[in-house]
Amino acid sequence: MNKSSYNLEREQRWMQAVIMHPDGVAGGVASAEAKCHLDVPLERIEEVVCRSRQLTSRERLSIYHNAYFARLLECLRSVFPSLARAVGNEAFDELGVGYLQRYPSHSYTLDALGANFDRYLQETRPDRDEATGLSETWPDFLIELATLEWAVNEVFDGPGNERQPGWTAESVAATIASCWPDVQIKPSPSLKVFSFRFPVNDYYTSLRQAASDEDLPAIPDPSPTWLALTRRDYIVRRHALTPAQFILLSAITSGESVGQAILRAATVEEGSLEEFSTKLQDWFRRWTAAGFFVAMESEPFVA
Amino acid sequence: MTAARLGYPNLGLGVGLRTVHFHHILEHQPEVDWFEIISENFMDSQGRPRYVLDQIAERYPIVMHGVSLSIGSTDPLDFDYLTRLKRLADDIQPQWISDHLCWTGVLGLNAHDLLPIPLNEQTLQHVVDRIRIVQDFLERPLIVENPSSYITFASSTISEWDFLSQMAEQADCGLLLDVNNVYVSSANHDFDPVEYVDHVPHRRIVQCHLAGHTNCATHLIDTHDNHVIDPVWELFRRVHAATGGVSALLEWDANIPPFPVVHAEVLKARQYFAAKAPLDRNPSARAANNQASPLAPAHAVPHPLHLVSREVQ
Repeated sequence: MNKSSYNLEREQRWMQAVIMHPDGVAGGVASAEAKCHLDVPLERIEEVVCRSRQLTSRERLSIYHNAYFARLLECLRSVFPSLARAVGNEAFDELGVGYLQRYPSHSYTLDALGANFDRYLQETRPDRDEATGLSETWPDFLIELATLEWAVNEVFDGPGNERQPGWTAESVAATIASCWPDVQIKPSPSLKVFSFRFPVNDYYTSLRQAASDEDLPAIPDPSPTWLALTRRDYIVRRHALTPAQFILLSAITSGESVGQAILRAATVEEGSLEEFSTKLQDWFRRWTAAGFFVAMESEPFVA
Repeated sequence: MTAARLGYPNLGLGVGLRTVHFHHILEHQPEVDWFEIISENFMDSQGRPRYVLDQIAERYPIVMHGVSLSIGSTDPLDFDYLTRLKRLADDIQPQWISDHLCWTGVLGLNAHDLLPIPLNEQTLQHVVDRIRIVQDFLERPLIVENPSSYITFASSTISEWDFLSQMAEQADCGLLLDVNNVYVSSANHDFDPVEYVDHVPHRRIVQCHLAGHTNCATHLIDTHDNHVIDPVWELFRRVHAATGGVSALLEWDANIPPFPVVHAEVLKARQYFAAKAPLDRNPSARAANNQASPLAPAHAVPHPLHLVSREVQ
């Protein structure tokens, strides 16, 4: 390389293209992206990166290349531990390398690294392009597992209501007595509700309880499940829901009045009105104790 | 004349705050002189990490140490990042703010690594200009750390210690001298670590880092996963003597042992303070043959990997 043509910007873009390339330093140096910044063949990279007494330039650059993938795969594995165990380390690493190619980090924080992982699984599902209309179900399960694990990640360090005064069962009772159907309930900012095609929460639980050397549970057959995630005392809590509970909480979190939300839930709940009323009181008591709600709103809140 | 440590206090012997120790620290309130946080782990936190930090900051002096400033990058400075960094600093009132002489990415990407820059007149001016902008924005001096590195560039024309010296003088910033990084880089780049620590401007050293590393036989990796080896302690003793004492902090980021073990490791510094003569063989000789470091497992991953572990029931 001609020293007079030296340019830091070009050198950094070249190095980044090399160390982020999935095919190693040789693949990176030969890639079009690297070449458009510095067109240096592998046998002449000493013109850019010096060798040491012990290592060639290529070996030295490989330290950064290996570290890039090892570090970020480890990060993904810690955010998606159940998914990693479900597919196995080798397959997870393959997924991770592909993911890092399509969705490299643009953030100053590693916390955001897995934000598009479930989307990536959806985009690259193995049967995606089949024209038959028939598809395997296991990719859907893995996508839902990724969705759950990412949500746990978001709830853990996202907004919560630990530092606000709690909304008590007494305040619920007082409201019930007055204007219950017309009010809106402001949910905790940590509350998220999910409808899954698979029993991903049960699978997640069984993997957390299984020792690392235990056989994994089989990927389950499709079976609809519903789940609420929230955070209390800075720990993420998972609450299995019935279909009626899911509809009720979904309506509440989208800003509907309590009366409207209950009417929606009633459409799927079997049993007498009296039984449903008793259940509702029990649900709200438990959800209030679990920190699902932070306030009553007489004015509409923005969901 | 520049005040020693840029006028900052000698905080004593501190420990890097890590998630696995949160519970122990809150419960036992150990007699630690100070803690250093990884700024990025708390800048956006609205959960347990920030809750714990607020409690710890009430009792202990805190220093903010970043890994994503990317002061050497040719991308524009990220003022959204700087705004969040400053907001955290306003909230917890750290003793100072530090980051690394490195770049983490270009073209809007982040490799989440501390990538080295070529050391020459052009890059010196580039870094100095950016440090000045950051210092103006943060309204305080930036304390810049020498990273461990695994490559050197054909375009480099200045030694790392000369580069740091000129950078610190021209930008009027402080230095965080990581003596383990000096040792690791000296082995990787075939230079004398003693010459390095003897030639950086001692009055601008605000803080030292100590850590363990991994010996890969042909090179060293800065893994922060073990005890500090004797030659690194010896480099530290030299810096301590030359500076008259600076804040020192132990980083332990992988295979992290219980808190008392980590704390005891940094307290070993006291015996080096007391020693008038070197306690160990010449660190230059050690760096040359790498015999003192623990031998590597396969695929050692360099620092940093900083992700807060999640708590879920």
